[in-house]
Amino acid sequence: MMKNVAFLSATVAMLILSGCSSKEPAIDATANGNGTSIGTNANANGTSGTDSNAVIAPITNANANDAAGSEASASDSQLASILFDYDKFNIREDMQASMAKNALLVKDKAVKLEGNCDEFGSDEYNYALGLKRANAVKSELVNAGANADSITMVSFGEGNPVCLEKTQECWAKNRRVDFKLP
Amino acid sequence: MKIILFFLTLIQLTWGADATIEVVKGVAGLSPLAIEDASAQSNDMGRKFTKMLAADMNVVSLFTVDESYAMAPLDSLSPSPVHKDAQYLLRYRLSDDGSGGVKADIKLLQNGNELFFKTYLLKQSEMLVFLSHAIAFDINGKMGGSPIDWIKRKVLFIRLTSPRHSEIVASDYTLSYQKVILTGGMYGFAKWGNKEQTDLYYTSLSDFKPTIYKMNLLSGKKEKLISSDGMAVCSDVSEDGQRLLLTLAPNGQPDIYMYDLSSRNKTRITDYSGIDVNGQFMGDGSIAFVSNRLGYPNIFSTRPGSTAVTPLVYQGKNNSSLSSYKNFLVYKARENSATFSGNTFNLHLLSLKSGNIKRLTASGENDYPRFSPDGEAILYIKQDGSRSSIGVIRFGLNKSFAFPLKSGRIQSIDW
Repeated sequence: MMKNVAFLSATVAMLILSGCSSKEPAIDATANGNGTSIGTNANANGTSGTDSNAVIAPITNANANDAAGSEASASDSQLASILFDYDKFNIREDMQASMAKNALLVKDKAVKLEGNCDEFGSDEYNYALGLKRANAVKSELVNAGANADSITMVSFGEGNPVCLEKTQECWAKNRRVDFKLP
Repeated sequence: MKIILFFLTLIQLTWGADATIEVVKGVAGLSPLAIEDASAQSNDMGRKFTKMLAADMNVVSLFTVDESYAMAPLDSLSPSPVHKDAQYLLRYRLSDDGSGGVKADIKLLQNGNELFFKTYLLKQSEMLVFLSHAIAFDINGKMGGSPIDWIKRKVLFIRLTSPRHSEIVASDYTLSYQKVILTGGMYGFAKWGNKEQTDLYYTSLSDFKPTIYKMNLLSGKKEKLISSDGMAVCSDVSEDGQRLLLTLAPNGQPDIYMYDLSSRNKTRITDYSGIDVNGQFMGDGSIAFVSNRLGYPNIFSTRPGSTAVTPLVYQGKNNSSLSSYKNFLVYKARENSATFSGNTFNLHLLSLKSGNIKRLTASGENDYPRFSPDGEAILYIKQDGSRSSIGVIRFGLNKSFAFPLKSGRIQSIDW
């Protein structure tokens, strides 16, 4: 009888507590660090002497701003983005028409191909996948007569989505190569 | 009744944290610790500091921590009435150091006996959480806990703020303190460049070609290191900080290169028509990396000057990210074949000596594992919808902790 009570209590507790579990940290994150920096390394006047762990110095004096980054956008107008399947970098049958049209439009121009991925993974492999997509498009352009030296490439990984919803349609739109003319 | 209470405690402790905790060993054996504020006046900073110390002491995992706030004189040998059951008392007295910083007198008592006393100086009061981490480090050392040098490390991460915009942030491991180091462009793959954490490498994707920069945090100076068409990433820095493993793609093919900082020469390590990325220095002089040379991403190793490539992992069909520490690897594996929703990525720890593999996470999207420099813990990104958290796994203790980022998505981390 006692065993049954213990088992039942544990099961009920498990159900209740699993609903209550929280991954919130005990410490409230304060977001954006705008702290000013004073960078000296004075010694602590600790009664137990000083050691490298007794003084906590500022992280940096720097708070640098780069020139403004470019705005998010898909392919330049008239040039269609080429879409890809999950984890793939071969050009799909249904993209061949867009590919041929784009090849004609950029034939004698300098063009930048921007490879992009969906949100599953921010590691180097995902960036490499974006690059291989751009490279597959480059090969098609070169086959169609473009000059390889006039084509540059970059992979933005998952960092340049055109669609931010959590749907299959949205992820499919983000697995793409955009064409940019300088 | 005792059995029921024991079960309730055990379940609460295991359920509340990340599911990687398999068993919380010896919960009943931990001694109760309470934290007491001995500052001249009770104020917000004092109350906040109790929470910070309680969180750190939970991570230290040597005590059962009473998180209730109470004040008590620094020199009193007995606890405040609300902490009468505590065997250990951690007291702090915070005061203004007169130049914008905080002086902290810290005392640890065990049943009325002083075990530890130390004075700390925090140069910026905004960095209060680092004071807590420094104290936790010392208390852990005093009590003979497993090494936790990582607790004081600064975490470097890239936060994607909007499409094509990101910033480089330095923080503590709980993300409580965050300092934006660089903003205004699009960046990726920030990595510490030296043990002192004063230099860092990062990729700028706003330049005409992806470009790796080295930045010094003391001077704020940025130096252009190398550019490549397509992709340029600093994947790993040697222990002495003199050699880098880079991923570059001069002909659209991502391959691994070794870069010598003193000679500024780069040597090609891999040469494959598919994807070779994420090079990591191993303890035996070899280099581990991710490659899709068998048709799917997996972990391989090679040696500089050799064309021989050996697979290191024989499990899973999608192992696309890794970090190394001596003879250990931690890698990310996709667990299911679902193309879209329900993607599960788990982290696995592999001992190359024994061949043993231990799964470290149980569910969700776990990404970007990074060993701490002392090999005692693993930092990783946990993606949950649009929300990112930083996770810390103390695999030696079977414990893990997660700290969510309030806004933005984390692209990469290092510590």
